[in-house]
Amino acid sequence: MSSYVGTGILTRQALRRDRVIAPVWVAILAIMVYASAAATPTLYTSAAERLRAAEAINGNPAVVALYGPILDVRSIGELSMTKMTVLYTVFAAILIVVLVRRHTRVEEESGRLELVAGTAVGRNAPMFSAVVESTVLSVLMGVFAALASIGGGLDVSGSLAFGVTWTGIGLVTTGLTLAACQLSASARTCAAMVAAALAVLYVLRAVGDISAEWLSWISPFGWNTRFRAWGEPRWWMIGLYVGSAVLLIAVAQLLRSRRDLGSGVLAARPGRATGSRQLSDAISLSLRVHRGSLITWSVAMAALGIVFGAIAPGVSGLLETENAQEIISRLGGPGGMADALVAAVLSLTGIAVVCFALAVIGHAGGDEADGRTEAVLATATSRSRWFAATTVVAFGGVLWLLLVTGIFLWIGYGVAGAPAGAHTGKIIPAALVWAAPAWLVVALATALFAVRRSWTVIGWILPAACLVISLVGELLDLPDWFLKISPYTQVPLLPSAELDWTPLLVMTGIAVVVSAFGWWRFSRRDIG
Amino acid sequence: MLLSVNSDFVIDVRGLVKTFGSVRALDGLDLGVAPGEVHGFLGPNGAGKSTTIRVLLGLLRHNSGSASVFGLDPWHDAVQIHRRLAYVPGDVSIWPNLSGGETIDLLIRMRGADPNRSRRSELIERFDLDPTKRGRAYSKGNRQKVALIAAFATDPDLLVLDEPTSGLDPLMEQIFNDCLGEHKARGATVLLSSHILSEVERLADRVTIIRDGRAVESGTLDSLRRLRRSKITAVLDGRVPDLSGAGVHDLSVTGQSVSCTVEPEALPGVLAALTGAGVQSLTSTPPSLEELFLDAYRQQPVKVGA
Repeated sequence: MSSYVGTGILTRQALRRDRVIAPVWVAILAIMVYASAAATPTLYTSAAERLRAAEAINGNPAVVALYGPILDVRSIGELSMTKMTVLYTVFAAILIVVLVRRHTRVEEESGRLELVAGTAVGRNAPMFSAVVESTVLSVLMGVFAALASIGGGLDVSGSLAFGVTWTGIGLVTTGLTLAACQLSASARTCAAMVAAALAVLYVLRAVGDISAEWLSWISPFGWNTRFRAWGEPRWWMIGLYVGSAVLLIAVAQLLRSRRDLGSGVLAARPGRATGSRQLSDAISLSLRVHRGSLITWSVAMAALGIVFGAIAPGVSGLLETENAQEIISRLGGPGGMADALVAAVLSLTGIAVVCFALAVIGHAGGDEADGRTEAVLATATSRSRWFAATTVVAFGGVLWLLLVTGIFLWIGYGVAGAPAGAHTGKIIPAALVWAAPAWLVVALATALFAVRRSWTVIGWILPAACLVISLVGELLDLPDWFLKISPYTQVPLLPSAELDWTPLLVMTGIAVVVSAFGWWRFSRRDIG
Repeated sequence: MLLSVNSDFVIDVRGLVKTFGSVRALDGLDLGVAPGEVHGFLGPNGAGKSTTIRVLLGLLRHNSGSASVFGLDPWHDAVQIHRRLAYVPGDVSIWPNLSGGETIDLLIRMRGADPNRSRRSELIERFDLDPTKRGRAYSKGNRQKVALIAAFATDPDLLVLDEPTSGLDPLMEQIFNDCLGEHKARGATVLLSSHILSEVERLADRVTIIRDGRAVESGTLDSLRRLRRSKITAVLDGRVPDLSGAGVHDLSVTGQSVSCTVEPEALPGVLAALTGAGVQSLTSTPPSLEELFLDAYRQQPVKVGA
């Protein structure tokens, strides 16, 4: 067992490095679970209303595709956790992907793992410590999900079984990420492969839930529903989660033992021997570096647009309670409901696309830390040009991704048949208005990077805070002034709302001023 | 700002001070690099070599003193200066998803030159680099080659090389020396920062030795040597005369053999005394650069933790 020597010290170091991101992430997920559990009794006051809502969910294939079906329409737990059972476990999975990749392939790509491998640390210790850390986190995630659910008023045994499904997803994702991280020498490519695998598993389940159920049994996301946490839990299914996790980890271990440190199972394709004429300045370099990521994001946003565009027209069937009917009519009938869903989806898209921009800015910070910025600035490239190369891709990317989302929402809407009264023609503008708050957040993050390179990472707090305010602010009935901290609450909710230019222009104006400050500061500070 | 200093130097640094918080990285540094010379820039790790170079490249803003490159201010006229120079950092980092060939061409284009009309292909062959590999797949030595090829491929007026041979094998070091010689022959000015003294001794016309952010020695190797002790060893016919006196150090006598180090002004006296006693063999070795270097560091106690 000498190949596992050092697992303990590496695990402690990993936990130390994750001491902020892991607790914050788990806490946010637990808050979401709590909010969902606590909100249900006020949304649906009687058993009959709950029954109608559950049947409405099952009767809408688009919603089932997104959230999974409700197996027992009388179960208050299943109805409360509609979104939490499948969709939100994706966010739990993302945390595991981020951390496992961070401690394996990223360490390897940076060469730090080589440094560690040269010490009295066994060959299998780095991977095994990632497994240990991830298992601990998965269990904690399940425990906190269960506690939050109990705290929100749901029954204890159901909540515990529900927590088990969260732990299960964490374990399977651990194996999946470890296996994917053996395939390519590039940490970015490995991340894209895990993301693709998770997307395929999610789609398999979606198709399975609306047509051929056996497909759902292939996907761990399908298991979450079929675990029957809130009725008679199928405890034997723990074996499915653990078994597939162990299998994937064993595959990863086998792949690892057959490759060299720093390489991937899939050999990298050779690149061009000479540079293209187009790759000649800072801006073309920045576009080239982020090309792959922008394409992946565009495909994801297009898929999201199509799916939600197709779901939106049927959404008014979901809410047939008296309260809801009142809301529907206030919103302007089924068309208004569809518009409201589009607006809600776009408000989250507006936060999501900021992540692309922050990755671009983070990359600029990495370039500076590693000395690539130095190499560029030692050529005839001015600081302004280098700064522009980063900001053009960050700001332009945000607008582009919103445009893609809008276009594909509109197409999806058209395919599904927009209900009467829906503002189909305003869907693309409805997507673009979110550029204003997104730019403001990106501008602030840029300014952080411009003031001090080490502050770049702080920028991630901004979209996280906006997301939390958007998601739980109204559920938890937080005060108005608090909600208004987030620029996302200032945006007119198109397509049904009137286009009000004032907040958009104000936010864009602030973004311009903040970016100009960033440029001014970046031109004057020390590089390195 | 200070008026641009009217001087014949390509690089002219006077009284340069740069602090990072409470740390004084450069503490009144002077450095002059004349046109067409290879100037060795010596100092141990942490002496301030890279900080000086970063100030000269306009990456860092200095606190006081003056610095000019081509008579221009490196902070304000960075782009103008950089069109005429090529820089090789000591620790080269390249884009992981760009091939070596793409990176070389990109850097050449960013300096405003055309890679297709450069010596890039010839250099790739000489340095034995596979240009199709992705950046992440290169070893340290190969990353260094990428930066060296990009720098040597065109004809910049000034080459700024910060420990350029770190990670290169002896074969590649030889090719580096050849390339540097070619650029020197066409009249390029070179600032060569290094702590590999044999390399500097072989290539440099003049050297500046820095310590704790300050120049402690500067001049041609010959002139520096002339100021330093020579090492004398001799075997005599008869008894060894008493050599001790002002300017003679490390005296050791075994039988008829004697060795000592002698300061320049004491040299005639020592030689006369030895010749008077009858010399069987006599060697006088001028101080190597290594000795000059170590000497410069022995003069005053080095500050702990500086």
